[in-house]
Parts: sequence; C-alpha cells; structure tokens
Amino acid sequence: MNEKNSPKVVNIENKSLFGRIGAIREIIIFGLTIALFIVFFFTTKGIMFSIASLKIIFVAVSELGLAAIGVTMLMISGEFDLSVGSISAMGALIAAKLYQFGLNPFLTLVIALILGVVLGGFNGFITVKFKLPSFIVTLATMIGYRGLIYVITEGVPIGFRVFQTHPVFHKFLAGELWAIPVPLIWLVIATTIVALILNYHRFGNHIFAVGGNKETARAMGINTDKIKIICFMVAGMLAALTGVIRLTRVRSFHSLQGDQIALLAIAAAVIGGTLLTGGVGTIIGAVLGTIVIVLVEYGLIMSGIGAYMYNVVLGGVIIVVVILNNVIEQRRK
Amino acid sequence: MDKLPLMEATDIHKWYGRIHAVNGVSFTINRGEILGLIGDNGAGKSSLLKVLSGYHHQDRGEIFIEGEKVNIASPADARELGIETVYQERALVDSMSLARNFYMGREPVGYIGFLDKRKMAECLAVVQKLGLSINSPDYLVGNLSGGQRQGVAIGRAIYFKAKLVLLDEPTTALSVKEVHKVLDLVMEFKEANISVIFITHNLQHVYDIADRFLVLENGKKVKDIEKDATSVQDLTRAVIGDINA
Repeated sequence: MNEKNSPKVVNIENKSLFGRIGAIREIIIFGLTIALFIVFFFTTKGIMFSIASLKIIFVAVSELGLAAIGVTMLMISGEFDLSVGSISAMGALIAAKLYQFGLNPFLTLVIALILGVVLGGFNGFITVKFKLPSFIVTLATMIGYRGLIYVITEGVPIGFRVFQTHPVFHKFLAGELWAIPVPLIWLVIATTIVALILNYHRFGNHIFAVGGNKETARAMGINTDKIKIICFMVAGMLAALTGVIRLTRVRSFHSLQGDQIALLAIAAAVIGGTLLTGGVGTIIGAVLGTIVIVLVEYGLIMSGIGAYMYNVVLGGVIIVVVILNNVIEQRRK
Repeated sequence: MDKLPLMEATDIHKWYGRIHAVNGVSFTINRGEILGLIGDNGAGKSSLLKVLSGYHHQDRGEIFIEGEKVNIASPADARELGIETVYQERALVDSMSLARNFYMGREPVGYIGFLDKRKMAECLAVVQKLGLSINSPDYLVGNLSGGQRQGVAIGRAIYFKAKLVLLDEPTTALSVKEVHKVLDLVMEFKEANISVIFITHNLQHVYDIADRFLVLENGKKVKDIEKDATSVQDLTRAVIGDINA
C-alpha cells in the first residue's frame, strides 16, 4: 500500500494480476505472429496482405479461435476436451437437420448451442463424478459423438442453404459488416467476454484456483466440480457455435466437419502459453496461437510451398514455442 | 469455566473403511486459547482436523460453536462458521497472485460478480503489517518462502475475522528462523482473541506458545491438560506412549 512506510520491502516488478510470466509468454507469441506476417509477406509477394486473403485468413482464425478460447478456459481449470471437434459437428448437424425439417435457423442455432452445453456438460459430469482423467473421457466421447454423427447421416451431406431462404441468418453468422467478416466479430465478442471473466470476475478467480491447485481451491470453499463442469459446458457451447458458423459459411454439413478442431485448438492454447497442467494460460495467447496456426497454413499455401508442408511446419512451431515457454519457466525458478 | 467455550466437540468418530481414525474424541476450546493438538503420525490429528474444517464429515459425534450445534458439511460451511484452516501444503495456489490467493473463495465483488480490485489491494497492508516483505498485491505466491506463505495464510485468517484457526503442521517444512517467525505470527491470533488449534508432531514448536495440550494416540484422546499442570517430559511420554506396555 504505502511503500514509504515499509522501506524494507523488496522491489519486484509485477504489473498485472496475470503475473509476469503470462506477459513474457504473450510477448513471445506476439513477436512470432509479427515475424510470420513479415516472412509470409515476402514469400507470398504481398498476396497475403490483400483484403481478400486477409478475409479468408480471419474467417479461419475465427472458426478455430472460438473453439480454442473455450478449450483454453477449460485447460486453465485443469481439464481437457478432445471432443470439441465432434461437439462442433454435432451442433452443426442438429442445426442442419432441424433446418431441413423446416425450423427457423435462428431457433436451430439456439438448439445447437444448448446441445453443445449438454454434450460438454456430459464430458464434465463423467470426468468429475467418476474422478477420471478428462483426456480419456473426452477421447471416448470424441469417438462416440463422431460415431453418432455417422449413425444419423450415414455419411450423406446435408444442405444448409440459408443464404437463399434466410439471408439475415446467413449475414448474422457468416456475412460481412462494414467489410469485416462477421465470424471475426463473434470471435472478438467471445474473446472479450471470456478474457474479462477470467481476469476480472470471481468465476475466473475460481477457474485459476481450481486448475492451479484443486485441493487448495476446495479448502478455500470453492465447489471445484461445479467450476469444472461449467468450463466444459462453455467449451461445448463455443464448439457448437463455431460448428454452426462453419455450416452456414460452407452451406452444407459433412460428417467429417471439424475433425481437426480439437487438436488444433489445444495446439493454439499451448502456443499461446497455456500449461497442460492447468492454472496458467491466457485467452489472448490462445487467439494469437490460433493466428499463428492459420498463418502457417495459409502462408505456406499462398507461398506455393504446398499444403503438405503445413503439418510439418506446424509441428515444428509447436515444439519450438513449448521449449521457449519451458525455458522461461525454468528461468523463473 | 462458567463462560461458554468457543467450540465444543463431543464423542467425534471417523472411520476410513475399517480404520477407526478418530475414536470418540471430545474437547473444548475457549476464546483466544491456543490448543496444541499433538500425537505421533497416524494418531488421528489430521483426521480430526479434516472433520473440523469440513473436509470430511464425522461419522458420529456433535460439534457446538458458542453453544449452538453446527453441521460442518463442507469447507465453505466451516469458513462461514468462522473456522479457518491453514494447511501446510495447500494453503495457497502457487500460480496465482497474493491478492487472488488472499481472497480466494471470498472475493470482494462489485457489479455482477466482477472483482473489486481496489478492495483486493488491501491484503498487501495486512501481510506487510505481519512483517512480510511483499510490495505488490500482484506478487506471485510461488516465489514466496515457506514461512512467508504461512504468513499470508495467517494474515488471511486475521483479516476475515476467523473465530477459530486450525493450523496443520505449520512449522514442519520450515527453517529454524522461519519457525520462530511463524510462532510469532500465531501469537497475533491470541492478541486478536482468535482461538487456535495448533496441530503438530513436534512438541518443541508448540510448547512455548500453547495454553493447553490435547494428546491423541490411535485415534483416542489420551491427555487433555493445561500447560501449568504438565511438563515437556510428561507430554513427550504421552505422545510416545508407554514403552513398557
């Protein structure tokens, strides 16, 4: 408080409640993002900075980012969700099916979001009530939910041509507002809300506490099971949202939709400095991590290097970033 | 004593499967009293502590606070009743700041549950008053020493006006210098008229500051005695048990 009255105190810089570590991690990832932009600017001869390319890139960032921020919040609480890709597809599927039956797409969106909450909540319930590792539980539900999709569709695509029947709905999820892709606006809104909750809300304090040390959190009177289940629900809801956004954009449902999302979302979180052990991570980091992943993909393609190199390079990026994060962690100790 | 004790526990039993961890323990503690709860490893100290702190529910027995029967079903209940537990290992979350730890589970909030960060900065003055050299509420708790961590947890108990503080082996992992620091901090409770149950297997640490001792052995109370009526030798014998038996 009044530092003049306590001259003995050691001076330690620490500006935000995130702690210094988060800040350093974010600087690294931010630097990496800028570096990638510069590299790809030259290798793509500037194509990457055309408005058309940026729109494509940021739509992809938005679709992955929405899933990634939910996954990140969940990882901070100390749990995983490998099934977000399957949940996003389940959300899209129910929206497409109900639309096929003539339901208003806005209503199908609401139902899809509720389904996301239910499926995420199921993951959470099984994990906390039976005290199982969420890695295993959501591995199982990833497979199971996806299997259910094939049972329902038998692999046949389902059309979702809302841009013809309900153009307002199409605009609402996949259109443009003042030349800004609407999915990006959804990402900004979701990022802002989740980041505010994590850093400035009581619930966020509980999430960090549960992930940082579950026993301590419990001893401090926090209902750790409840916190984790809610995080699973949010991750499920955001996954369903991104599923319906994608469905609206590509105009039909395919049974494979979103099968890459879970691992890429976890990769985005990790690149952004979220620890697998829980208790540490930032939403901004996850969004930057998403941008890195998407930039690598589109940068390589637009550079003419080819899509096949993408996974190789992405794998390398993940390892390098994790090593850097680890070095920072060691330095701290 | 004609005044009502702060807490009275009668005939507390706790089983873990077939292990009878706490076997009919009864005791009382008065306001501002420091009670040394001693016993060897496995004597039932921690199990009794877990019952009082709401971590486990007793299988039998009753607990009264200021004469009123209470049901401590969860750690949150215990805190509500003014019982604050300072755990040796899990008092604080390393990856979080001082302020976030200090107010954990009892965050001061303003509009729709958003944290009142100005209020949360108050914790700094509390820990500084206890002599801890920390200069920011955002200081990462993982960088504190063991003694400082105990200091933060103790400051928290004082700040939230606990009536009874349970200290779980607060000095075990500490250096000699830090042990003295923590013992000084415990005396702050007495000054604030807060009762303390000091759980330890190290009699030396608690002997100077405690008013009374409760010795457990195999889950049973074997001694409940004022300091004036006993001695270190006497208590040591009680903790170790009768070797000839």
